Amino acid sequence: MRLSRSLSALLGKSRLLQAALVVGFWLAGETLVRVLGIPLPGGVIGLALMLVLLATHRLETGSVRRGAEWLLADMLLFFIPVALAVVDHRELLGFTGLKILFVILASTAAVMIATALAVDRCFRWRAAHVRDAIASR
Amino acid sequence: MSAMPLLLAEPAAHALAWSVATIALYAGAKRIYRRWPRWWLMPLLVTPVLLGALLLGLHASYRDYIDGTGWLALLLGPATVAFALPIYEQRALIRRHWPVLLVGMIVGSFTAIATSWGLATLVGIDGAMRLSLLPRSISTPFALAVSGDIGGLPDLTAIFVIITGVAGAVLGDLILARLPIASAMARGALFGIGAHGAGTARASQIGETEGAVAGLVMVLVGLMNVLVATLAVRLL
Repeated sequence: MRLSRSLSALLGKSRLLQAALVVGFWLAGETLVRVLGIPLPGGVIGLALMLVLLATHRLETGSVRRGAEWLLADMLLFFIPVALAVVDHRELLGFTGLKILFVILASTAAVMIATALAVDRCFRWRAAHVRDAIASR
Repeated sequence: MSAMPLLLAEPAAHALAWSVATIALYAGAKRIYRRWPRWWLMPLLVTPVLLGALLLGLHASYRDYIDGTGWLALLLGPATVAFALPIYEQRALIRRHWPVLLVGMIVGSFTAIATSWGLATLVGIDGAMRLSLLPRSISTPFALAVSGDIGGLPDLTAIFVIITGVAGAVLGDLILARLPIASAMARGALFGIGAHGAGTARASQIGETEGAVAGLVMVLVGLMNVLVATLAVRLL
């Protein structure tokens, strides 16, 4: 189902149409999840669909790039409404909030240190032992 | 009754007002941060704080607010789909370095889940609150999906994801200043796995490879967590 030339040309011009196409993939994913009873979020299935079409060159990156980048750049705006539930969770403003803050700070530091050390060791080991793993540092 | 209060009582007018307020504050915060990039001016932090103050000041409930802005949250679905583009564009990086990336993702996820659980237990946080803390390192749309799956509260997780993002962007710099990390790959993974989107933005400022790696591992680790959580919930 290669997109027709005129449609591609139209998509290339409009960021809004490209975003609408991404929304289309999401709706397709949601539909598949409902109909087939897949236990995954519809967005993940939509992502898989779009990735397959991109990888098989049935969809050109130029037809979705600006729309997708727009959605990703302003993703922050989409989850701020959910986070405002904080006004319904007054317990977070007291001592519990401090405890949560401690857990998040300590855990995030641990994740960063562990990840960086693991990746760094692994990367250096591969660079020394696997020929085609030599890459920009 | 005059026309004005009647108009304001309309649910549609309420919805519009809250949506406009959210988008306007977000756009304004983004501009200010572009001009003065300080961590405490991150739109991630400033926008919810200002909106929260507005909500409390107007004695509005979260229900009123989310009824009007729920459509914005719905766009997280298409945003998840949009991640297909960076995955496709970084396919060369995946092909060449997948074992290293995979090790980082597994170590990072395990550390995130284990330390969140352990530390929460240590300070006496349990139940749904503790479960809501587990997926906070991964990108929002994935984190909310995992949170609901494992019995956490997605709205609490959204708050924890934000705190992690702000904390991670600051902590990342502090850690890199003390830890001798030679490879750009490891610096990118540190930000992408530790602090999702906020970390990725910081990594992009450090270097191109760092930014690309951070963005990629952020998406892949989110997907991995969703798949593992789904599987675990079905099997256990």
